[in-house]
Amino acid sequence: MELKKLQQHWNSFPETSMEERPLLSSDLEKIVVKNPLSNAFYLRKKLVTRIAVFSVLWLVNTWLLRLQWIGEGNDLYLQSAFFLLLSYAIYFHLRLLLFADYPTLLALPLIPFLSKLEIILDKYIISYKLLSSITAFGLLVFFEQLMARWSPRAYDSFSRNSWYKWLLIIFLAVSLDILLLNIAIPRYRKLLGTVRKYKEGILAKAR
Amino acid sequence: MSNSQRKGFNTDIRSLLKHQHKKVYSVCRLFAHTYKEHQYLFTNIIAAASQNIRFRGTSANKETLLLRACVNMAALHMITLDMQAGSAESIEFKSTDYQRAMVELHDSMGNISDYDKFRLFLEFEKVPSEQLAGLTGMPPGKYSRHQLAQRKEKEMPKKNFIPYIKEKLVWS
Repeated sequence: MELKKLQQHWNSFPETSMEERPLLSSDLEKIVVKNPLSNAFYLRKKLVTRIAVFSVLWLVNTWLLRLQWIGEGNDLYLQSAFFLLLSYAIYFHLRLLLFADYPTLLALPLIPFLSKLEIILDKYIISYKLLSSITAFGLLVFFEQLMARWSPRAYDSFSRNSWYKWLLIIFLAVSLDILLLNIAIPRYRKLLGTVRKYKEGILAKAR
Repeated sequence: MSNSQRKGFNTDIRSLLKHQHKKVYSVCRLFAHTYKEHQYLFTNIIAAASQNIRFRGTSANKETLLLRACVNMAALHMITLDMQAGSAESIEFKSTDYQRAMVELHDSMGNISDYDKFRLFLEFEKVPSEQLAGLTGMPPGKYSRHQLAQRKEKEMPKKNFIPYIKEKLVWS
């Protein structure tokens, strides 16, 4: 590659063209409010939505846990485990959101920027494990509440068999995890792989 | 912050972007292959630069933040293109002169790496090569074997007794 030749080609670009119009104030007003990151990289909305949903579940769970505590119910351990899981999931997502710090993300130098993107995507993929466990717990609690309303006898018998409940939770969590592994996670894995490959390419070239 | 101050700051960003928008077009020349890509990359870089300056800008580093926006958005653009299977890199622009200039430029560039494109961008925009470190987060120039060995030694993880927990707790 000859730099002189490239410089010649560079200088041969037309002064004004349809492609390189002067930037007008009216265009600028519209552009600066746009989000520069595409949906694949911008996970803020998804994280905020999850935090909001988990918070609502956490409040409901706290209320149910209180009822179990007062009434010394059979689901005390189950509700306590769900409480801990929800608390950890909220902490994990909040931490990821604060770590990502989207408004200043693009101001980082290229390699730290790509490394941060890698970490965000990696943690986001891990967060699907929490999501599947929470969904499993949530489904069981919802099912129990429905059963308590419609058939108190069946509920009474079901709530005493804690082994069945834990087995059901494990079965649901594993099934949902497998489902998410095949539906939602592959595109993030692919993106993570591409970001990693790109970063390694830049690093290899710089050395 | 009062409204007048906010307005003043925005005017500052606006004038900076208006003055420096040719640099953004330069990145687009190196990384875009079609008119659509060119316009998309341009608007994204301007949006990223304005966001960077709004949240991190001081009077000294505005130009660096603009250049970082250019480099980072170009990298994301290339990653997105990599993800799209079978995306042909044929050059298609609307104006004939521009199309010809782009074909000539890309033909003479050949298959150079994106890192070299970043270096070319700095060269064409007369940005000192020392700034490359600030934009990429790596020291400029090639390393000698001895430097590489030293660097590798530094990068080697130090012994720690609870690596798993550390990995889980420390993300960066």
